[in-house]
Amino acid sequence: MAGMSGTAAAPVLAQGLVRRFGDVVAVDGIDLEVREGEVFGFLGPNGAGKSTTVRMLTTLLRPTDGRAVVAGHDVVHEAAAVRRKIGVALQEAAIDPLMTGRELLRLQAILHGIDRPESRKREERLLDTVGLTAAADRRVGTYSGGMRRRLDLALALMHEPVVMFLDEPTTGLDPNSRLALWDEVRELNARGTTVFLTTQYMEEADRLAGRVAIIDEGRIVARGTPAELKARVGEPILRVLLPDGADPARAREILEGFGQDADGDGALAIHLKGGASRMGPVSRALDEAGVPVEGLELHQPTLDDVFHEATGRRLEGADEDQAEEAPRKGRRRGKA
Amino acid sequence: MSALRQYGALSRRSIVNTIRQPAAIVPALVFPLIFLALTAAALDRSTDLPGFPRVDSFLQFAVATTIVQGSLFGAIAAGADMAKDIEGGFFERLVASPVARTSILVGRLAGAATLGFTQAWIYLGITSLFGLEVEGGAVAMVLISLVSAVVGAGIGSLAVAFGLRTGSNEAVQGAFPLLFVLLFFSSAFFPRTLMEGWFAGVAGANPISHLIEGLRSLVITGLDAGELLNALAVAAGLLVLGIAAAAAALRGRLKAAHG
Repeated sequence: MAGMSGTAAAPVLAQGLVRRFGDVVAVDGIDLEVREGEVFGFLGPNGAGKSTTVRMLTTLLRPTDGRAVVAGHDVVHEAAAVRRKIGVALQEAAIDPLMTGRELLRLQAILHGIDRPESRKREERLLDTVGLTAAADRRVGTYSGGMRRRLDLALALMHEPVVMFLDEPTTGLDPNSRLALWDEVRELNARGTTVFLTTQYMEEADRLAGRVAIIDEGRIVARGTPAELKARVGEPILRVLLPDGADPARAREILEGFGQDADGDGALAIHLKGGASRMGPVSRALDEAGVPVEGLELHQPTLDDVFHEATGRRLEGADEDQAEEAPRKGRRRGKA
Repeated sequence: MSALRQYGALSRRSIVNTIRQPAAIVPALVFPLIFLALTAAALDRSTDLPGFPRVDSFLQFAVATTIVQGSLFGAIAAGADMAKDIEGGFFERLVASPVARTSILVGRLAGAATLGFTQAWIYLGITSLFGLEVEGGAVAMVLISLVSAVVGAGIGSLAVAFGLRTGSNEAVQGAFPLLFVLLFFSSAFFPRTLMEGWFAGVAGANPISHLIEGLRSLVITGLDAGELLNALAVAAGLLVLGIAAAAAALRGRLKAAHG
């Protein structure tokens, strides 16, 4: 495949990847290119085809059609070589609850042919990295969800993979554990590991990924950096909160020069041309016109808006994300 | 070397798993003993029947049954654990690693064999407290425990095959009563010399009868090459059949993903 050889250095490269289960097309001809050293976010709702794609890229599922090269090897014809170079933390941390964290790390080392002295060194370092040194000799059955995910991450890192696949690493975690896991993904990436991250949480993709592909019903509907994607949706919305007694008509006149009217959910709002950098001028103009202002709120488009724009639907699980944040964002979403 | 380490590590894991699930293994260990206690108490006089083999007690007659029963029941755990690995995703983790595919089976079978071996010694130890004498002596006891290990691995591999096919712990547990049928339609609790009609035919055709009789001969008569070879043939047959079934089931499961 000439197109693939040209970019053979890409840690993950897929062309026309298809997976059918009977009549159901789970993945419908997707192309992907993940660059070395990046965190690539693969975002989509439940059932969009994220996990099926990851399972094909990690040699667990044979593609019905198309081709994928991971860490320089074909996932079908050189599956064993792919397995040696990738780390995989699948959805719902598949960890034997009867074993201790340390035992599992040692087992993982043996499965990857790492000798004992090296295995012991990495075991201590990884336990320390994921903050499980104190719990290392407890059975995994006693771990919390966050601890299991962290152990899963450590297991996937034991053989120092070139590419790390994290399939919905924070689904079901409480907000604190989610933040802790994000930090670990960042650290992992900072050490040079390429990360392929699937998630149904737009915020997760936004915070962690350098580039994002959004998948829906087995097809990629948008791709780019989060900023590019959001920019495509449109300008951010600026809400201007006026104190009692202020003159909204005067304020509106001033704001007309900065962008078109937007639904501010009870407040004055505009689609702010030029983005956040124009907030200062707006503030100054209002001040100079003698319009008192209680507050200015800038609402950037989210990846959920990008998804909405592409599919006409909202991401599943996005509501959960929103609920953890300020209600104002929920109103913004309600309107979009 | 690396493959040997993998075999060792997965076997150890399998054994450790068994030890750490007392709720799963204790009944399989204790139930045959309770059965033995009941039959030994209820049927002891039956040893006086004309045609009954010459034995010290019904306990001596039936201990071979207890050992086979224990290894049959214990082996179910291997299949159940395999199914749990599939249900819990650990199987997929193994498949996603560069582990030799054979070690997935070898680990489980080594676990089942170790369990069968250990159970035999536990039963022999406990029954000796109640006066059991093994006519074949220490050599016979070693042979019994080795056959029990092979039976454990054989039935274990059948259970593993079933676990791989169904991927369901419940389905594996549900197959448990089949083992009762195998046992009851054999010479497990009564000598074939005293059976008549269709039951004698069924018991004669049931390989479990020959397995138990071979082990029993070591206990009640001593080292009898013919009987022992019968038992070994059944155990080895079970193992070959089981490994073939488990290997086919493993290929089938991997192919389902890769086909």
